[in-house]
Amino acid sequence: MKSLLVGLCLGLFSCSIFSQDILIEAESFDNPGGWVIDPQFVEQMGSPYLMAHGMGEPAKNATTIVNFPKTGDYHIWVRTMNWVPGQWEAPGRFQLKVGDSTIETVLGQRSGWGWEYVGSTKIEMTEEQVELIDLTGFNGRCDAIYFSTRMEEPPTSQKKLVEWRTKLAQEPNAPEKGEDYDLVVVGGGIAGCAAAIAAAEQGLKVALIHDRPLLGGNASSEIRVHTLGIYGHFERILKKLDTEHYPNGSAESKLDQEKRDNNVKSYTNIDLHLNYRAYDAVAKNNIVQYVDARHTGTGERKRFTAPYFVDSTGDGWIGFWTGAEFSYGRESVDTYGEDWEEWGELWSPKEADNAVMGSSVLWGSKLTEMKQIFPDVPWAMPVAKAYEEVNGEWQWEFSRNDLNQIDDAEEIRDHMLRAIYGSFSNAKKHPDNNNRKLEWVSYLVGKRESRRLVGDHIFTFNDAKTGNKFPDAVVIETREVDVHYQTVLEDENNPDFISEALFYKTPEYYIPYRSLYSKNVDNLFMAGRNFSTSHIGLGGPRVMRTTGQMGAAVGLAASLCKKYDVNPREIYTGYLDEYLKVIKEQKYIEIPDSKQ
Amino acid sequence: MKSQISTLVFFVATMGFAQFGAPSGISRVPHQNGLVEAPEFYILEWKFGTQLKEKATDLTIIVDSLGNQKVNALAGPDDHEVLYTSDISTPVCADGECKLMHIRFYWTILGQYAGFDRYPNLPLTKNDHDEFQYMDYLKLHQLLMDDNSILKRRKMEELVKKPKQPKMEGVDAVAGATIKEIKESVVSGALYSCYTAWHIVHGSIKEEILQRTSASIDADVILNMLNSRHADYQLFALKRLDEKQYEENYARIADIFKSGIPLVRTFIIKNLPDSFWNSEKLQGFFWNSFSEIDINSRSLLLNNINRASPKVSQGLSLQLQSMTKNQLKIYLKHLEDSNRMSSSIKENLLAFANSRSETIAYLVSDFLEDYQ
Repeated sequence: MKSLLVGLCLGLFSCSIFSQDILIEAESFDNPGGWVIDPQFVEQMGSPYLMAHGMGEPAKNATTIVNFPKTGDYHIWVRTMNWVPGQWEAPGRFQLKVGDSTIETVLGQRSGWGWEYVGSTKIEMTEEQVELIDLTGFNGRCDAIYFSTRMEEPPTSQKKLVEWRTKLAQEPNAPEKGEDYDLVVVGGGIAGCAAAIAAAEQGLKVALIHDRPLLGGNASSEIRVHTLGIYGHFERILKKLDTEHYPNGSAESKLDQEKRDNNVKSYTNIDLHLNYRAYDAVAKNNIVQYVDARHTGTGERKRFTAPYFVDSTGDGWIGFWTGAEFSYGRESVDTYGEDWEEWGELWSPKEADNAVMGSSVLWGSKLTEMKQIFPDVPWAMPVAKAYEEVNGEWQWEFSRNDLNQIDDAEEIRDHMLRAIYGSFSNAKKHPDNNNRKLEWVSYLVGKRESRRLVGDHIFTFNDAKTGNKFPDAVVIETREVDVHYQTVLEDENNPDFISEALFYKTPEYYIPYRSLYSKNVDNLFMAGRNFSTSHIGLGGPRVMRTTGQMGAAVGLAASLCKKYDVNPREIYTGYLDEYLKVIKEQKYIEIPDSKQ
Repeated sequence: MKSQISTLVFFVATMGFAQFGAPSGISRVPHQNGLVEAPEFYILEWKFGTQLKEKATDLTIIVDSLGNQKVNALAGPDDHEVLYTSDISTPVCADGECKLMHIRFYWTILGQYAGFDRYPNLPLTKNDHDEFQYMDYLKLHQLLMDDNSILKRRKMEELVKKPKQPKMEGVDAVAGATIKEIKESVVSGALYSCYTAWHIVHGSIKEEILQRTSASIDADVILNMLNSRHADYQLFALKRLDEKQYEENYARIADIFKSGIPLVRTFIIKNLPDSFWNSEKLQGFFWNSFSEIDINSRSLLLNNINRASPKVSQGLSLQLQSMTKNQLKIYLKHLEDSNRMSSSIKENLLAFANSRSETIAYLVSDFLEDYQ
């Protein structure tokens, strides 16, 4: 933090002799205290930010040391947002402390992300401590703090803000650090981890880029969804990564977290880039050239080059940035003939639309020995209404057709937080729950469905229903096709954050390799929920042992791509027998000849 | 569909039992040759004075060890089927002990659960031989209304299995949502009866009735369905109307759009014929409901904003408070693209932008700033 600021100040000083400007990115605070770094919405609001996720108890102060180029009077702005504007006090209020002085202005009150003027203060020493003081424990958020000797508010619009930030940081276009690999895997969910392991076991030098400190994505102990599905050909690899079948949201996920992290780290030829979030990728002539990623805390950037890339970001970001064809929403029932008369429109609509399965935010509470107070949450009640609950399972899910699961993910997460806090507050009114305390609420959105990249084959409901055994079947599944809808569609009195699942029992079915690489970006694989499928097709294989199978399958395909210097499609057209043999052979670790 | 469940629970909780007969006594005798009053537990509307006569069909339900049980139709004076019914006697076994369960079930003409009547002197019983109380019957009714119940995909032995112990201390010993959902949905102490009843009601008979109806459906029945308050009937009818019939029945369709469930609204708005969008009058009925319908339906309406009349663009400027953030963006973009920004629309936008109580007023302020 210190060195970044000194560099920043010197740079600015050289371009302006009239003012001193210092931008502090909150996520790079020396000590975040009880605040958490939230990098989920960078593409929408511009940056990772610090959030006071105290579940009703004010988070411990976040602190950092700031080096000012000179002492004097500074104006201060904070980039923040009131996440539930309305006829109540903003839920996420906080204050700023500079040196020994707490500045009176209460922050976190404006609608939409933007700058709030904090006030002016006299900086008497060139090195000062800056603190964020949480007042509520309910998800106050701070993206950045800007000190300036001039009374000129920084820009709010996203485009101008990006330019302003770049200018201020004097960042060159390209990251200065570059690293070259055989395979770059973006996204460290179960699919990405499996891809990295499978490729590494075949001798490839692999980069695994993941925007969290913990691996596993939806299966991580930060989100806590258990893994479902079968192992297919990849039991040995997937057992290194999967979870027990505990209730979703269970603290037991921590045991599997340790197992998973250690297993991935045990591969010397996997370079693990934790807390790096990809922010750009570029293709030339339909070939991905590189992926750029930024550290979610320090802001350090790296460029990753390789002949092959795996998009296991879930949201299909690499494909999106490089121009890969993708789909979003529900196809019309006739597009692929995915009718199920029993459920009609709930299953597959006559006319296509942008509805998708929703995102979950899991949570839980526990009984303690003492009485526990939970604050009033009037801002949560318009969502929770009279619903009461003390923990959340998979049915806690939200989607709405005016909200995009990528572009509006922050609003979706915030809607779920209101549902959780409000429902818990209702439950707390019962004397039985006097001693009950919120134990854990995820702040990460557990997504089910968003962009689906298009491959040479689009996997559909009919592939599952008929058990079509493709010549290039590499993923096997027996799990029912299970598609969710919001129960509010059937009755407006239902809470809008609870879903219902429709299950279609299938025979064993298969996903072909052709659904695991992009149709039009020649060196791009995909694994995970952003593989090539229809909305209904995704209903079965979106669970994480299945997506893990996809990952392992593309990791092995990448090794053959390297061996023959060919693109993913050519594995299907020219090397399929060898590919299927490699899949078969990796099932068990080979016993050396000397010991046979 | 479970649309009526919460309403029903609320209704009973607030109104008591008067509408459903005596809570603990024996029900009236189910009618042997027809029906002149609504079944005791029933989901459809029942017009006073309705008389349904029983008609034999070739439909049957196979019950364990007791063979086929007949399913009859109940028809109105015009001979159109209104309901299907069957008097069921079936063994219910728990822990090796079996008893007969007697009950009369009703299905809609689409094969969905419509209700049941209990038999006098033959009450349903629980595992411990206690008789069902009134609230138990009501809970059974709720369970049977749920065509996607958790009982659907589970085998009986799975439902009585004990959960695994957790590995970590402090973790609740529950097998996830499943056990909780089962407990909440079945009558306490009567899992076997509930399971048996659900699987009879939602068994293959559903599809057989639907096929029978589909094979003999005529325009009168479709029209009756359109005029029903039952959402499944409405959807079934809407799917079978051609463009001309849409136009002929526009008033009823607009009424369903306003008062129906969101799923039906969604279907209507996505499938309105072009002739509606070309007519200021016809589309007006739907836009008039804008502030009264659910958010999803509003979004679908707004998808058609560029086919809306200038009057609609004007009217919506007074309904900005009903829009979500993204809906408001769509409307503002429409104003920009269509060049329909009249002085009165602008005045309404300004009023909204200046309102201190509107949380997304800033979007309109920004828009007006750029627009100028």
